[in-house]
Amino acid sequence: MTAVAERQGYRGAWTQALRSPVSRLVVKRLLLAIPIMLGVTILSFWVVSLIPGNAAQALLGPEATPDQIHTMELQLGLDKPAYERYLDWLGHAVRGDLGTSPVSGQPVTPQLIDGLAVTSELLGLALIGALVLAVPVALGAAHRPGGLFDRLSIFVSMIGLSVANYVLALVLVLVFSVKLAMLPAIGFVPLSESVSGNLKSLILPAIAIGFPLFSIYTRFLRGDLVDQQQSQDYVVTAQAKGVDPWRVLVRHTLRNSSFGLIAVVGLNLGVLIGVTVIIEQIFALPGLGRLLLQAVSARDMVVIQACVVVFAVVTVLGNLAADLLQTVLDPRIRYGDR
Amino acid sequence: MRTKFQLMAALLAVVLGVAGLAACSQQGASSGGASPASAGPPQRGGHVTVLKDSSFDGSWPTGLDPATNATGGANIAQMAAIYGGLFQLTANPDGSGAKVEPYQAESYQYLDGGKTLKIKIRKGITFTDGTPLNAEAVRFNIQRDMDSPCSCRPLWLLAKNGIATEGDDTVVLRFKIPTASAVNNFPISNVNWVASPTALKQMGENKFRLTPVGAGPFKVVSDKLNSELVLQRNPSYFKQGLPYLDQLTFKAIGGDQAAYQALLAGQADAFEGMTTTPLLDQATKNSKLTVTSQPPTSPYVIQLNTKIAPFNDEKVRQAVYFATDFDAIAKGLFKGKYPVSQSFTAPGGLFYHQTVPGYRTYNLAEAKRLVQEVGGITVKLGTLGDYVARQVNIALQTQWRQAGINVTIEDYQLNTLVQQFNGGKWQAMLQTAGAWDPAAGVGVAFRFRSNSPFTGVKDTHLDGMLDQAAAELDSAKRDTLYTEAGKYISDKAYAPFGLAFAPANLAVKGVYGPGLTTKIPPMVVNPGILWDQVWRSGK
Repeated sequence: MTAVAERQGYRGAWTQALRSPVSRLVVKRLLLAIPIMLGVTILSFWVVSLIPGNAAQALLGPEATPDQIHTMELQLGLDKPAYERYLDWLGHAVRGDLGTSPVSGQPVTPQLIDGLAVTSELLGLALIGALVLAVPVALGAAHRPGGLFDRLSIFVSMIGLSVANYVLALVLVLVFSVKLAMLPAIGFVPLSESVSGNLKSLILPAIAIGFPLFSIYTRFLRGDLVDQQQSQDYVVTAQAKGVDPWRVLVRHTLRNSSFGLIAVVGLNLGVLIGVTVIIEQIFALPGLGRLLLQAVSARDMVVIQACVVVFAVVTVLGNLAADLLQTVLDPRIRYGDR
Repeated sequence: MRTKFQLMAALLAVVLGVAGLAACSQQGASSGGASPASAGPPQRGGHVTVLKDSSFDGSWPTGLDPATNATGGANIAQMAAIYGGLFQLTANPDGSGAKVEPYQAESYQYLDGGKTLKIKIRKGITFTDGTPLNAEAVRFNIQRDMDSPCSCRPLWLLAKNGIATEGDDTVVLRFKIPTASAVNNFPISNVNWVASPTALKQMGENKFRLTPVGAGPFKVVSDKLNSELVLQRNPSYFKQGLPYLDQLTFKAIGGDQAAYQALLAGQADAFEGMTTTPLLDQATKNSKLTVTSQPPTSPYVIQLNTKIAPFNDEKVRQAVYFATDFDAIAKGLFKGKYPVSQSFTAPGGLFYHQTVPGYRTYNLAEAKRLVQEVGGITVKLGTLGDYVARQVNIALQTQWRQAGINVTIEDYQLNTLVQQFNGGKWQAMLQTAGAWDPAAGVGVAFRFRSNSPFTGVKDTHLDGMLDQAAAELDSAKRDTLYTEAGKYISDKAYAPFGLAFAPANLAVKGVYGPGLTTKIPPMVVNPGILWDQVWRSGK
């Protein structure tokens, strides 16, 4: 009797959990991800097929004649219509088989896993670093708008917003690797080899990606904080009650301002992926961005599609995580409520 | 590809600024050019990391199997380090006296007026898997290379059963026509690299591409495609006491600027093939680096598509000759560092002559007159998007406009460029022509023979002249034949030639080696560094 009740209790809890707004949001978003993924892969397949050259050209070399290329295209099945090749790829991909590169002859999945490990660590460091620094700086700036710290933060942020990542990367290398000899200019040390070596190898690329992010987040959060401070009744009430201004800012205003920041972080993920392509190239990091770039150069559609899928999944999941975080922080948001 | 292009463009855009900053960090000026001889006797041991441009020689997307490495012409360094080579190009430290010498081969002999080539293989050489590198292994490899669809194989017309062995140490190649340049062709084609047939069969082609087995100075430790190749000393290398280094690593990097900074930061020891001239100026003044500019072998040429308008009209072609002032470009843009050629040869290569009799040099008045006479000229001038080519193209546009020629310029990525040639609708292309031996690799026939997909000329008389020169065994007669071909191209105004540029190698002080810190003419683009003789001091 007790066991049955317990089982029913579990089932009830599960049913309740599955019916909760958060679960519905997750399921809804994951279902929505399917057409998004299809759309993204179709688009990338179509765009790459418009670029001159293909894997046959890459296999034969630049001196190959049109006849040789045509023969190789027949061998690789590149003569088939694009939709047929896409469906063929899709059929394998949904079964977890991302295929073998026709250019290198190597299976794609191990390459993806290796690249993803590097890129996710790089992006994670850049994002976390940018957020960890942006929040206190924005708070400091919003505490006294127009003050010295605010002006200083505007100046620094403007530099971050104006300087392109690749310029920043080269300047960072010049200062920290060439002049000060503190950090490596190129290369990647896996975490399994050395924790400190791994961190050192990623600091400069992470700053090159993270500094502009820090600037965006700082400006965005500072603006929202100041806006809330100046226009919201709850702030005036708290101040009237004599609550310490820092406490109002940190305990109340920051929480409300963070919703927008979370949305910006989620939206930025897609842009970040583009940036990694350039930064990984400059710092000779064997990440996913570099793999994608090389695959595009070789018109290696199998690898391109695999990279695109991974990037799309990361973007979709990142945005989902941002939405979930917002529902946790903001009781007014109830995704999935009928 | 586009992203890659944008990256390269962006990097170049900041070159001057960051290079300026870099210059501030340099103490004192020193000129490069430390030769191994001046550095004392070579030392054993140590590790050297060599950077390679990820958009060119730092890219090996199809792996390092000689039969399938479609970018083998660019990956000569990696291939030579792993396989050694049957032949190699050597030269005096100043680049003079360059010649192709037997290496894993012991000797060679042309017979039947150049229709047969006998190559004797050195005895006692073994692959790193312990199996012998003998005539049968060489025959197996050459046959496999010639059967491969990869365009990296030489364009030899072999007779039926044209690859055979005689005994255990001799390979015989029989050609349908005399092929006097066959030996000179070896160092830049896949037939030079002999892979272990046993390892190939055991591993299978796909695995072999990643972990190839050769008999060169180094063997593969790890290979991350297009990223990093780690090699270690081959203890059973056939040359006593060589290689000097214990380890050699090739690492791909995104362009000249990033490579330059990595060298300054001490993250790498050498960079092959720098082309960004402002950076080369900086590097030359840097006391930490040795800069070795290689003797050029392939001059720039403005290919004119004589099959379609407007260049099917000889007067239009003549107008372009008269409107082009490569001397001004060489002086103005490149401070006179690079010589100007009037034919498909350059100072570092064979059969070079500074001038071609009757060559149409810059004459603005004559160019204007011809432009008026033909009723105006509108032309699109393309090129492959590298730093020097883009600079030259912009200068040409300015010069041609002064003569009244309406010209638009365009940079292409390699794939798009190939597409343009295959389409046959292109009008003018700034390219490089020739090689160390005009009949080898991307030689003169590549740009001028009627059956090449990359030619703008269809002239059977010129085809005959080039074929005759390529077949001639006597060097003096070959020189005469190529001189005549150069004059014929000039007379028919098929393509104006320009400055002869060759990339430079950078090495940190204390690293030495033939081709790295001494001069060896590039067979096509980069020189063949003799990796077994590269060494470093103090480590």
